[in-house]
Amino acid sequence: MFEWNTVWHFLFADPNHLFLIAAWRTLWISVVAQLCGVILGLFLALMRMSRFPYLNGPARGYIWFFRGSPLLVQVLLLWDGLPRIINNPNFLLPDWACILVAFSLNEGAYMAEIVRAGITSVDVGQMEAAKSLGMRYALAMRRIVLPQAARVIIPPLGNEFNNMLKTTSIASVIGLLELTGTAEVYGSQNFVIFELLIVATVFYLLLTTIWGYIQSWIENRLDPNRTIKTELDQKSWAARMLGFGSPRPGGAGTLASGR
Amino acid sequence: MSVQQQNNGSSREMVRAEKIVKRFGNLTVLNGVDLSVKRGEVVVVIGPSGSGKTTLLRCINHLEKIDDGRIYIEGELMGYREKNGRLVEDSEANIARIRSQVGFVFQRFNLFPHLTALENVIEAPIHVLHEPRAEVTGRALALLDKVGLADKANAYPHKLSGGQQQRVAIARALAMNPKIMLFDEATSALDPELVGEVLKVMKQLAEEGMTMVVVTHEMGFARDVCSHVIFMDKAVIVEEGTPEQIFEHAQNERTRNFLGMIS
Repeated sequence: MFEWNTVWHFLFADPNHLFLIAAWRTLWISVVAQLCGVILGLFLALMRMSRFPYLNGPARGYIWFFRGSPLLVQVLLLWDGLPRIINNPNFLLPDWACILVAFSLNEGAYMAEIVRAGITSVDVGQMEAAKSLGMRYALAMRRIVLPQAARVIIPPLGNEFNNMLKTTSIASVIGLLELTGTAEVYGSQNFVIFELLIVATVFYLLLTTIWGYIQSWIENRLDPNRTIKTELDQKSWAARMLGFGSPRPGGAGTLASGR
Repeated sequence: MSVQQQNNGSSREMVRAEKIVKRFGNLTVLNGVDLSVKRGEVVVVIGPSGSGKTTLLRCINHLEKIDDGRIYIEGELMGYREKNGRLVEDSEANIARIRSQVGFVFQRFNLFPHLTALENVIEAPIHVLHEPRAEVTGRALALLDKVGLADKANAYPHKLSGGQQQRVAIARALAMNPKIMLFDEATSALDPELVGEVLKVMKQLAEEGMTMVVVTHEMGFARDVCSHVIFMDKAVIVEEGTPEQIFEHAQNERTRNFLGMIS
C-alpha cells in the first residue's frame, strides 16, 4: 500500500527537516564541485590550446583519463584506493572531501572541453585586435575573449550543473547521505523506499527548476541584444520550465534573438 | 649593416623593414621586402590580391612572425631580440609595449562586440596604459566626435553600419596616441556608399601629419593623399615612387598592367 501520508509528511511536516538537510548537502556539494570544475576547466582549456607540448600534453592526458573512466570508479579509487596507494590504511579522507575532490577533478575535464569550444568560437580577429592595442595574452583573454566565449559556455555549463545536482547521488555509495542516500537509508529502515524516493525526486526537481531560472537570467545578461530587450521578450515560465509553450507576445525567444 | 648602425640611423624613420621573408608552409608571401617610412609620411601599398601587401602590414606589428629579415619601429627591433648574435623571439611584454604605439585598423573592423563604441575606445588606454578613466573618457568622446560618431558613443557595434564601425575602430586605435597608423584594406569590406566617410577620416589624419602605412585598392586616395606609393606583386616590391611616378610614369610592365586593369 503506497503511503501518500509519508510523502506528505517528509515534504511539508517533518520536524527533523531530514530531506531539507539532505537537499542542502546536495546543493552545496554541487555548487562547490561545479565552481572548482569551472576554474580547473578554464586552466585546462588554456593549457590544452597552448602550442607548447609540455602544457597541452598533460592537459590532453588529464582530459582523456577523467572523461574516459566512470565517475563512480574515480570516487571509489579515491575512497578505497588512495589509502592503499600511499600505503597508509589509516589515511582516510572525510567522505565530503573525497566526493568534492573526485567531482571537481571529473567536472574539470568536461568543463575544459566546454571552455575550449567557447574560446574557439570567438573570432581570431578579436585576439588580434586586442594584441594590436598592446594587450598581452592574459589581459586580452580576460577582458576580450572570455567575456565573448561566456555566451557560448553558459548553456552547456548550465547542463553540466543540472547534471551535477543529480550526479551527487553517487555520494551515497560511500555513505554520504544526500537526497538519494537519505531516501534509500531511511526508506529501507521503515519500508517506505518508494515514498521517500518520490520525496527526493520532488526536491531534485525543485533544485533543477530554480537553477533553470538562474541560468536563463545569466543568459539574458550575456545577450548582446539585451539593450533593446524588454521584459516581454523573455520566454514564458511554461516555456522555460516544461520546454514547451510560445514566447509571450511581442518577443522573440532567447535562442532566436541571440546572434 | 650592423644593428648598431641601424639604431643610430635617421631618427625621422618610423618604420624600417629589411629583407623581410615570410613563408606560409611552402608558399613564400614576402620575398626580401624592404620598406622605410619616415615621420609624417603616408605610404600607400597597392597590388593584386595575394601579392603580400596585407602580410607585410601584419608583420610590421608582429601579428605575423617573419622568417628572415628585420623590422624596426623607431629604431627598435620589433618582435625579436639579439642573443649571442642570433635573433630570438622577444618577450611578450616588449612586443606588447611596441604594439601599443602602433595603431592597426583591420579590414573587418574587429570591434569588441560586447562593448559599446565608447567602451571599445577606452578599453586599451585604461587597461594597457593605466590612464585614469575620466581622462580617457574625455579623450575618447573627443575622438568619437572627430570621426563623426559623438551620438553613437553608447551604441553596441552590431547597431552600427560598417562605415561607422570602421570609424570607431580608427578612434579606438587613435586613443592609444600611436606614433604610426597601419590600415589594412580599411574600406574593402564596406558597401560602396560607406567608403567615403572612412576615407575622409583617413585623409584628415594624413593632413594632421599622422605617419601612415595604408594598404588599399582606393587609387583616388593613393593619388590625392599619399607621399609614397609601393606596388607589390608576387611577394616582392616591383616598383615604388611618388604618386606621380607610379600613376603617370610607371616604368614596370606589371605596374602598368595592374593600374590599367583597375582604372
